[in-house]
Amino acid sequence: MSTCRLSCLVIGAALCVATGLTFAAPVKIGLVETLSGPQASTGLLFRTAVRYGVDRMNAAGGWNGEPVQLLEYDNQGGPTGAADKLKTAIADGVQVIVQGASSAVGGQLTEDVRKYDMRNPGKEVLYVNVGAEAMELTGEKCQFYHFRFTGNAQVRVKALVLGMKQSNALGTRVYSINQNYSWGQDMESAIVEDASLGGYQVVDKTLHDVNKIQDFAPYVAKIAAANVDTVLTGNWSNDLLLLMKATRAAGLKDRFGTVFLDQPGNLGTAGDIALGHFVVHAFNPEAGGAEGERFVADYKAKSGHIPVFIEPQTAFGMAMVAEALKQVKPEHGALSVTALAHALETTRINTPLGEMSMRGADHQALLPMVVSTVARDAKFKADDTDMGFKPVKVFSASDAATPVQANCKMQRPD
Amino acid sequence: MRGRGGLGALGTVGVALLLALPWILSQGLLNASIQMLIAALFACAYNLLAGQAGMLSFGHAAYFGVGAFATVHAMNAFGGSGLLPTPLMPLAGALAGLIFGAIAGWFATQRTGAYFAMITLAIAELLHALAPHFKGLFGGEGGVSSTRMPSMGVTFGSTTQMYYLVLAWVLASLLALYLYTLTPLGRLTLGLRENSHRLRFLGYDVHKLSVLVFSISAMFSGIAGSLQVINNEAANYIVFDAGQSTAVVLNTYIGGARVFLGPAFGAALMTFFGYAVSDLTQSWLLYQGILFALVMMFAPSGLAGLFGMPDRLRRRFGTAAVVPFFALALASIVLLTAGTVFLVELLQRILSQDYRALAAGAPPWPPISLFGRQWSPAAAVTWLLPAAGVACGAATMLLARHKLALLEGRQEDTAAEPRAIEGERTPA
Amino acid sequence: MDTLIVSLLNGVIYGLLLFMVSAGLTLVFGMMGVLNFAHASFYMLGAYFAYALQGTLGFWGAVVVSPLLVGLIGVIVERFVLRRVHRYGHGHELLLTFGLSIIIAELVKLCFGNFPVNYRVPASLDFAAFAVGNSDYPFYRVLMGAVAIAMFVLIFLLLTRTRVGIVVRSAIYKPRMAEALGHNVPAVFMGVFGVGAALAGLAGAVAGAFYTTNPNMAIDLGVVVFVVVVVGGLGSLSGAMLASLLIGVVTSLAVGVDASLADLLGLIGARAWAERIGGLFTLKLSSLAATIPFALMLVVLLVRPGGLLGEKA
Repeated sequence: MSTCRLSCLVIGAALCVATGLTFAAPVKIGLVETLSGPQASTGLLFRTAVRYGVDRMNAAGGWNGEPVQLLEYDNQGGPTGAADKLKTAIADGVQVIVQGASSAVGGQLTEDVRKYDMRNPGKEVLYVNVGAEAMELTGEKCQFYHFRFTGNAQVRVKALVLGMKQSNALGTRVYSINQNYSWGQDMESAIVEDASLGGYQVVDKTLHDVNKIQDFAPYVAKIAAANVDTVLTGNWSNDLLLLMKATRAAGLKDRFGTVFLDQPGNLGTAGDIALGHFVVHAFNPEAGGAEGERFVADYKAKSGHIPVFIEPQTAFGMAMVAEALKQVKPEHGALSVTALAHALETTRINTPLGEMSMRGADHQALLPMVVSTVARDAKFKADDTDMGFKPVKVFSASDAATPVQANCKMQRPD
Repeated sequence: MRGRGGLGALGTVGVALLLALPWILSQGLLNASIQMLIAALFACAYNLLAGQAGMLSFGHAAYFGVGAFATVHAMNAFGGSGLLPTPLMPLAGALAGLIFGAIAGWFATQRTGAYFAMITLAIAELLHALAPHFKGLFGGEGGVSSTRMPSMGVTFGSTTQMYYLVLAWVLASLLALYLYTLTPLGRLTLGLRENSHRLRFLGYDVHKLSVLVFSISAMFSGIAGSLQVINNEAANYIVFDAGQSTAVVLNTYIGGARVFLGPAFGAALMTFFGYAVSDLTQSWLLYQGILFALVMMFAPSGLAGLFGMPDRLRRRFGTAAVVPFFALALASIVLLTAGTVFLVELLQRILSQDYRALAAGAPPWPPISLFGRQWSPAAAVTWLLPAAGVACGAATMLLARHKLALLEGRQEDTAAEPRAIEGERTPA
Repeated sequence: MDTLIVSLLNGVIYGLLLFMVSAGLTLVFGMMGVLNFAHASFYMLGAYFAYALQGTLGFWGAVVVSPLLVGLIGVIVERFVLRRVHRYGHGHELLLTFGLSIIIAELVKLCFGNFPVNYRVPASLDFAAFAVGNSDYPFYRVLMGAVAIAMFVLIFLLLTRTRVGIVVRSAIYKPRMAEALGHNVPAVFMGVFGVGAALAGLAGAVAGAFYTTNPNMAIDLGVVVFVVVVVGGLGSLSGAMLASLLIGVVTSLAVGVDASLADLLGLIGARAWAERIGGLFTLKLSSLAATIPFALMLVVLLVRPGGLLGEKA
């Protein structure tokens, strides 16, 4: 080989090494979600929103010149399936795991991710939690490689209570009815804690079996006997619908403050019963202004429906991940998850409702919350009915935030 | 004897293959193999009760789960050393399964048949309903988690090490279960299925026998449960769900309850099916249900029973006669599967909410992308293709059956003729 | 006192709903000896068909036509699917019906989506029948109860007073003899299975509007219906009625009881001790309301496995 060619080769190689572009490894994001079985409805919504987020990342250029790849895994409905698919995802080279539909799966994933990262330093993976709202994930089980981009029970109840109070819908006598598992118990504690903040008295509280009760009439009888103004509940899906229907059937005029009333299908099934009830959620298309309408139109064009329920917060979470990715430079051609985690701690983005950031102490995102009421004059109708969610009050991220839990002792890799 | 030797050789090859798996498979598939091994052990343990003793239990997940929780608490208590080092953890599951199985079995085996099945179902459902209330024991919604501690010089941190641990326990348990069938107790178990009245007349205490068999089956189920917990480092009360109980029944009967390794095969197949297909399509549960229904209807002795068929047919009719039948049968299965899958996937996309919203206006409706191509729902070819596949598959299946009938008919004719020739020297 | 009356009423109506669904199941078991896992799926199909038809036929038309469709599906299932497996034994039939329940649930999800659908009580029926205490009692609940009672009376009369009923009962009790006497027993089986499915479909069409109509309906109700059938006695219609009422009332009343074992022990002064132990002793009966049917089923199976009104095992 001539010296000219050899020197060109050497210079070329040196350049490649210098710029770290030798082997550019694309970032792989793995969605480990409930995509089939009884609870698939919510999981599929998460998938739509995550796909939207990843498409936007790639429309903006991906990472390090390569498009971001999204791999989807079906956790078959439970923590065991999730643990298996996590191992498969890691074997496929996934570095960022996204999940949201169940707190049980979230608990399993965060523990598995923590143990894997402990055993494999230098090859860490990150867990992006876009929907599991159990308190323990940013409390007892908080860890450096877990980030929660949705609210939690305390955040939801605080916003709901203040929003309803402001609309003079809260009253002074409140009944708390929740499902008897971690989420419902977290909701109950939060409702009791915020009694002085909301200026109400919790007359009685009930915990019932999850998704096993067809006939809520006995519980409604208890609520009627308690003679309250408002019923606060974190129930979702059937438990919420049946509770509301039973209350209406009994002719009670109590106001409902809920967290998951905007789940698709609820307004359609509940009908007029839902009018006047309240929900606290992360986004309301009507409250976002021009920016919000642009987001809604873009989402509808890509997916076929406007972003509802858990989709907006997931899209915002993915936008934060995208923003953090921009600040991370490749190390040896690949993504350093630890660097990404550090970047996520200081990322801030602008959502249509206000600024969203991440709290470093417990990796709970600080995001704006909206309290809305079901009304006929809402701009965006739900479920092919003539009703929709009309925003009542928007809380900025700092107003909606609740303090770090005392039992979060995060170990940082520094 | 020759058959025994052949089976022995097959067994050795199988074990050697299993030992060499970590070098052949990727880490993801290796993890799936661990799940397949655990499911195989659970199914064989279940078959001891259902296939050999004839007692169909619908709540076997209870013993799997009890073993799982006992192990996770033992892991937290012992920390991988002391009385129960990590490799010996499944003993905790075995003990818990044995004790709980004995108690539950004592009640359940007082009745037989459908009532026995209902009692086992009730026990499992009761456990499933009560578990969320006992936070200390069952850990609430997030379950109880633990960490695999290094022990005996091995860290047990990688999938390969876990695979060998699980393989060792599963092979040992399967060997134990097989040796059990060779003991007098194993024969008595078969007697329970065939004729428990006669056993009573022969002087055996049938109730005690049933409890013993139930406990042994529960013990091995507990071992399977504990292996899963050691692999996942967490136990959740979802393990008591009725779906888990029915899954093991499904696996056992798809594999074949009469052959010893049939349930293991069925469990491995269905676990792999769930693992592989669940990421490919949303309708995988539908396919699983259809597969199960078809096996129940057309192969009632399970898929293991189907294995012997090609050999039997070959020996009866000769290879040349049988090959066209198998070619036709295979072709028909492929066509029917392809046509059905295409149709289901197409319908799933067309009937989904998102597509209906996108297509809300007048035609032309947006095309659907499937198998790498775009198909327009208004075009005839989109519907004719799967219809043709199903029709051709059905026609081929009918042809195959006709061929088989011809073969069997011709066999009867040739069997009749020689006698006639011997009987009559001169045709009339 | 008012809450007691309301709880009793609710319990009775809920029990009557359970009866509507379990009537068909217990009849089919008595006839075929196989517990049909797919029965609750027929309930779900009834609700979904009624939802799909209510646009074109109106509410009452949908409630009438939907059970007929479900009955037809039941007939097809029995003739082409179950009959083939009959000779392999009860275990196989049971497992096949389980496979069918999975297939039906997945097909419903395929066609109607994963979320609950918009099947509601029509406005004309959505009013209060009477008031108890300070809450109303909806008319539709009373209607559901009336339909269940009418169903019970009709089937009972059909089985005991008509010729068809005698043939059916003889086919259930002694099928070979009935066949020898010239009756078409396979057709009878097919008919009973179809009628059982139609009954479940009617229950679905009526109850789906009041409760929710979603793809998990079958799973939610299926297990409780099993319990009802077992407690009442496999094969006994009156047993099913008794057991449904019992379970409905007990579940309903238990929700109002906030007592626990600790309170019971408080009667003998051991409350503080029990509360310190916690666990089982401090579990409130109200939060265990959904578990009670299973405990009941276990007790009945151990003490009197034939069920309350069934035959001796």
